Amino acid sequence: MADLLNQFERILESDPQIDEVGFLHPSQFSELNKEAGHSPSFDDSTVLHSTDGNSVFWNRDHKLGISTQILLPLYKAAKHAFMAASRQYKALNSKSDVSGDENSLCASLSLDNSFESDVMKHSRALLLLSCDFGTAWHSRKLVVSQKHNLWDFLDELLLSALVLSYSPKSEYAWSHRQWIIKSIAGKCSTLSEIVTKDSELVEKIAERSKMNYRAWNHRCWLVTYMTREQLLYELKRSRNWASLHVADHSCFHYRSRLMLKILEEQCYKQEISSSGYSVETYQLWKEELDWDEMLIKRYIGREALWLHRRFLSLFWIKHFITDHTGVSSHGKQKNSMNNDFRIFMDNELHLLDSCSIIPDNSFDDYQSQAKHSATYILWLIKQIPDSRRIEFQEKLKTENLKALLNKACPERSSTWDSLVSYVEASGH
Amino acid sequence: MVCRLFSYCAFGISRMKLILGCKGKGKLLNYNALENTELDLPFSLSSGALPVLKYKLMGELATQKHVEFIVSVEKRKDSFEAVAMEHIRMSGAYWGLTTLDLLGKLHVVDVEEVVSWVLQCQHDSGGFGGSIGHDPHILYTLSAVQALALFDKLDVLDVEKVVSYVAGLQNEDGSFSGDMWGEIDTRFSYIAISCLSLLHHLDKINVEKAVSYILSCKNHDGGFGSTPGAESHAGQIFCCVGALAITGSLHHIDKDLLGWWLCERQDNKTGGLNGRPEKLPDVCYSWWALSSLIMIDRVHWINKDKLIKFILDCQDIENGGISDRPDDAVDVYHTYFGVAGLSLLEYPGLKAIDPAYALPVDVVNRIILDR
Repeated sequence: MADLLNQFERILESDPQIDEVGFLHPSQFSELNKEAGHSPSFDDSTVLHSTDGNSVFWNRDHKLGISTQILLPLYKAAKHAFMAASRQYKALNSKSDVSGDENSLCASLSLDNSFESDVMKHSRALLLLSCDFGTAWHSRKLVVSQKHNLWDFLDELLLSALVLSYSPKSEYAWSHRQWIIKSIAGKCSTLSEIVTKDSELVEKIAERSKMNYRAWNHRCWLVTYMTREQLLYELKRSRNWASLHVADHSCFHYRSRLMLKILEEQCYKQEISSSGYSVETYQLWKEELDWDEMLIKRYIGREALWLHRRFLSLFWIKHFITDHTGVSSHGKQKNSMNNDFRIFMDNELHLLDSCSIIPDNSFDDYQSQAKHSATYILWLIKQIPDSRRIEFQEKLKTENLKALLNKACPERSSTWDSLVSYVEASGH
Repeated sequence: MVCRLFSYCAFGISRMKLILGCKGKGKLLNYNALENTELDLPFSLSSGALPVLKYKLMGELATQKHVEFIVSVEKRKDSFEAVAMEHIRMSGAYWGLTTLDLLGKLHVVDVEEVVSWVLQCQHDSGGFGGSIGHDPHILYTLSAVQALALFDKLDVLDVEKVVSYVAGLQNEDGSFSGDMWGEIDTRFSYIAISCLSLLHHLDKINVEKAVSYILSCKNHDGGFGSTPGAESHAGQIFCCVGALAITGSLHHIDKDLLGWWLCERQDNKTGGLNGRPEKLPDVCYSWWALSSLIMIDRVHWINKDKLIKFILDCQDIENGGISDRPDDAVDVYHTYFGVAGLSLLEYPGLKAIDPAYALPVDVVNRIILDR
């Protein structure tokens, strides 16, 4: 068993650039060799055998495969070795804390180094087998934080990325990244580069792991570290990705987060004193509304696109149309706002009309489209200020929306009753 | 090419990533379960009670099979899949034991064995690890307290110590860290509040700040995320709503707006609930989303009969256990949330569960009322 662990740890040490790990059924070893373009006869540099002759590891092109047959003994050996090293490291640490004697401190420091490297070696092996073994991540944080070496922190980002390559939802691997970034923020000149790279990592993982909450949360969290230029760049970059993944609600949420941050920063800068928002931010919102409408019409029945529209419209009305200054505003300004509101509303009603047609013999998508368009308008009616709502409701009867909902989705008729009566009640 | 092969070789273990233990409510409302006798009538007059006949048509809960499944999981310890989950064993114990209790079968477990194992997972700091020798974390601390509560064994705890561990994790802004390494999440706020409430020590934290942090995680769609600005997620919503319920702060929520978002989680076709827009339905949201709807009094906005049918369709009738979706592999996590969801839906023969504390109502009453 210890041999197996040694073998495993030697591979990890000899190929520090391994960027992908997976568990393989023994029958897959020869398959892999074929796929990688090698002769089916086992190549010693690629496949490693245990003492009884079975293939146990596969390592080539910085990919590492581990045979499922040895997982249990390997895990047990790694856990045992890690727990022992961690105990010794902690015991020594608490001892050197209390001893003031310089000689014994030096002696314990060199011992410390050997336990330290044992902890790092064995915890790495263990985490590649059991990615949410929190105790192993913690011991790495302890070692790294005591060494104060920037490179050690950056190495941790690599290990976390490696774990995420085979377990993209690992909670500990994601929180380890945040801990690292928080630890080096302010002490590291390349922080903005790290933030950009992490954002790219999320995008890469999101490609394989759809709507991964942890991954997208990490990207949303990175927003706090972004400059205005980065925010605009991210908004531009994620747009293309979003239009290729229109069902990924998390990506649209990420865009809303970027947009709100841009808006917030502007509010802060202007201290909300001056009358409006810059043309730039206004334009940004307008473009997003138009783009979302284009996607809605192209990809029929996508909930994520309609929910994104709820967000966009809500803030559009609140920040770009609503008359902040109230009665004190000039008549002329007020008129132009009323006019803006009317144009916006007419556009949304027009969108509803074009999306609520359910052709005969159509696919479910059209039913979904009609349902989403009707709930979108209902939601909007509920969210707009009272004075506007009356105007809105003159043009659109809620019972018509209810009829549309019942036609598009009769299974939920009691839900539509509840929602419509709730919206109507708040209108009086 | 090689990469592609690797991706599908990877184990699906992360699917078990369990959100957390779970939680309960505060004001002991009573949408407590109906009396069983009442359910024997083919057509009950009590609102919300479903006629027994209807369940017969849907197929029934395979109670005995589920009990056998849970007991067998506990004994199956020597596979890689089992040992690789050891770090969350404490939560597993809570899920399994609560399921047994809801099914009325907690007595099949050796109490002394469980209690002694739970205590061996405790650290000097007062916190509990997920297994013996694992670092303490607030997640497993709540699971340990919940497991002991089920057996009416909270008296074995050095309460002051547990309380000081949990209270010590509150941050200046009112949020809670999961452990000394500082990860922050609204799950941890819920856990701290539920745990301290069960131990009668909510006064040891700044409740006002804890509530205001939770409210700072509210989104424009009415939902809540794990941190400010994070996407709304039914699991996080449960945590936030549960914490607000326990602290008597539900009035801060726009119940209609949140109810709207939650009721849109129901799938028209299958009746199952998802946890976020565009996701597939999953049995665990029969707990997270449903308990939230109940706490904010908007459960009538979804179709309860269809949800019951969805959960029952996810059972493995032959070998016991419940999966995330029909025909998938079963696990303890989904078995617990399926049974807990059915309990919330007043399915006959199950003990009632409290939607905020995620413990059987009689257990919560014993602790909170009979003080």
